[in-house]
Amino acid sequence: MTFTSWQFGIFVAIVFAAYYLPALRAFQVQLLVFASLFFYGYGQPELLALLAVAVLGTYLFLLLALRNRQLWLPAGIAFNLALLAFFKYKLLFIDASPSLVDFAPLDFLLKLPLPIGISFFVFHNISLLVDLTRQKGAAPTLTGVFLYIIFFPQLVSGPITRAEMFMPQIKPKYVADIPFVEAAKWILIGFFFKLYVANNLNEMTSHMSYPLYETLQTQDRWLLVFLYSYQIYADFFGYSAIAIGLALLFGYRLPINFNLPYISSSFSEFWTRWHISLSTWLRTYLYVPLGGNRHGVWRTYLNLMIVMGLGGLWHGAGLSYLIWGLLHGLLLVLERPLLARLASIDFAVFRAARITVVFVCVTMLWIFFKLPNFDHAVGYLTGMFTPNTNPNPTKLFYNLALLYSLPVIIQHLGLRPLSEGRLRWAEPYLYGAMAALMYLEAGPETSFIYFQF
Amino acid sequence: MTIRRKSSRSKSEEDVSAVRWLIKCGAGAAIVLTACGFATVRFGSGLQMPATTTRDGTLITLSRYLREPLPDVVLLGSSITFRLKEEYFATPKLRNLALAGGSPLTGLEIVASQPQLPGLILVEANVLARQTDAALVERYSRGDAEPLFFRPVRAAVAAYEQQLHTPLTHEQVALELRRLVGQPPSDFDNRIYADRALQQLNAEDPTDAVRLNAKRIGELIRIVEQRGARVLLFELPYFEPIEGSRHAAITREIIHAAFPDSNRWLSIEVNRSELRWADGVHLDERSAVIVAQAMERALALARAAQ
Repeated sequence: MTFTSWQFGIFVAIVFAAYYLPALRAFQVQLLVFASLFFYGYGQPELLALLAVAVLGTYLFLLLALRNRQLWLPAGIAFNLALLAFFKYKLLFIDASPSLVDFAPLDFLLKLPLPIGISFFVFHNISLLVDLTRQKGAAPTLTGVFLYIIFFPQLVSGPITRAEMFMPQIKPKYVADIPFVEAAKWILIGFFFKLYVANNLNEMTSHMSYPLYETLQTQDRWLLVFLYSYQIYADFFGYSAIAIGLALLFGYRLPINFNLPYISSSFSEFWTRWHISLSTWLRTYLYVPLGGNRHGVWRTYLNLMIVMGLGGLWHGAGLSYLIWGLLHGLLLVLERPLLARLASIDFAVFRAARITVVFVCVTMLWIFFKLPNFDHAVGYLTGMFTPNTNPNPTKLFYNLALLYSLPVIIQHLGLRPLSEGRLRWAEPYLYGAMAALMYLEAGPETSFIYFQF
Repeated sequence: MTIRRKSSRSKSEEDVSAVRWLIKCGAGAAIVLTACGFATVRFGSGLQMPATTTRDGTLITLSRYLREPLPDVVLLGSSITFRLKEEYFATPKLRNLALAGGSPLTGLEIVASQPQLPGLILVEANVLARQTDAALVERYSRGDAEPLFFRPVRAAVAAYEQQLHTPLTHEQVALELRRLVGQPPSDFDNRIYADRALQQLNAEDPTDAVRLNAKRIGELIRIVEQRGARVLLFELPYFEPIEGSRHAAITREIIHAAFPDSNRWLSIEVNRSELRWADGVHLDERSAVIVAQAMERALALARAAQ
């Protein structure tokens, strides 16, 4: 059940109506847990047991770690990382032959598909273990833990919410407290970016796949990389916005995941604006424990490379993802000694040039994301610098490309006059127009890019 | 107490302002939808939308067939026939309904389901292993209903594109076609593409699918010919190595066994050394023009014989 399906709309409406019934107020958490299990099981019922094992196992380790943190916290983290490694990276080590092993139950496990959202709920589990054992408070309830980990708006693709931020929000909720306008804004803009921008751009960027890209003209290869850059932003920002809006309807505030990443003037700034919840998680639970920047320059560089390399691998077990992460790490390392000097030059044109450089580099690296097969990614990149002599190249409509990318460009170049200035009165009409446009101009249905992670 | 009253008043003010915001938002959506609804009523959805995918192209082709006057001749086929543009043919009232990425059988099912039939239906016999697109047949068999609203962005782009590239007639391009045919064949090296295509065409055994489709083509031919139309099959020339592929050989064998009568075939006589296949499978533009002209000659003969 994806966010853009009519089944999901009905599902949310029913859960919302039941959630605020006075008779059910005492069972709001249980209701959300049940709804989240239904949401997850609707697509992959065979993996509900795995979800239960992950949550119950983490809860058990949490109870033990509250007594003896030194012993049971590493064990709980290892348990979760083992789950992630088993499902996500097993095919790196095992051949996908018809019968993997002779032992039937293990063979069954090995053949299970990648559980949707595993990368996200495993990170929630680790956050839960670290945060709650650090605070040394009372053990939370099992339903509370379930809700934190499997809350349906964020279950599949985040935002990755830290336990210390979410758990205190678990309390009775009232309709009167719902910020309807804020929730509506998040949901409308999220659906608009997904349906109007991402799905329509996907029609064009599907030509980036192998072997289709071989028919592209050289300039179109360049164009499509930039369109993919807009698409992946619109797709993931759209998902995150819908998740935030939905959570608000149920009385929970999730962290903001994107903050206009394509106006970043440095790579380190980019990572404070793109997939913020993941970069915050990696900084808190990986970079800082590795020593951060506290052990000299070279150790800092090494830590950055490790964190970004692992961040890349978190997306998938492929060389392309690793290269993507390591190249981002390298860019962070290269710019680090220059940052102070660059920041001291306060000149608009220079800042614009820096933004352009960061945007172009980030965009070029998305090729490794779009084409997880490393050879295909290199093939695509090579073709960007060599003329294509194919007499029947694919035709792309540049005007459509511009019109479908426009919302991302406008959003980044500035909506401030609208939201803060004289045009504020037009804001609700604009959101209404977006709602109509996403209905009229929705591109063909495609799943959210981050669902695969 | 005062604070509580103030707070409850500000809460109710907030509620009213939220309701106002949501009403305005709904009004904004309604205005855009109404405008698009009126525009659809006023202009119809006849604008040919830009096709960014083969599916789009298919929908455009079929919608146009249903909307415009009935042609005398229709071409049905796959992407191979799709390359034969209508303006290459001097024959008036000829329509190419080939579906890029689709099956000739899909086109035949749709044409056969219409209340009126063209006089002559030409069916490509090169690609017969693909399944019929049931959703497309269902959609066009009950008539392509006019949508309630048109897509404003696509419609604007379509209008702009149509202004820039008005569809051409044969008379408008005849000179250019003569010039194109007068040029020597392209020397583009298609080996990489041809090797890959050959690999794909040798990979699977199409026997079952082709048999099934050949049988259905036979049934449909009987139905449409009982209603007064005439059906001819044709084979477009392949690049020589592709001609010998497993896929092409099996398809040829089955379809000729199913339709052994030579009068059922439109024989396309063309000097193969003049033809080029840029990607190994599809004719390049010059070759497509040469083949279209050869088809016209064959058509004239077939009509004379009739």
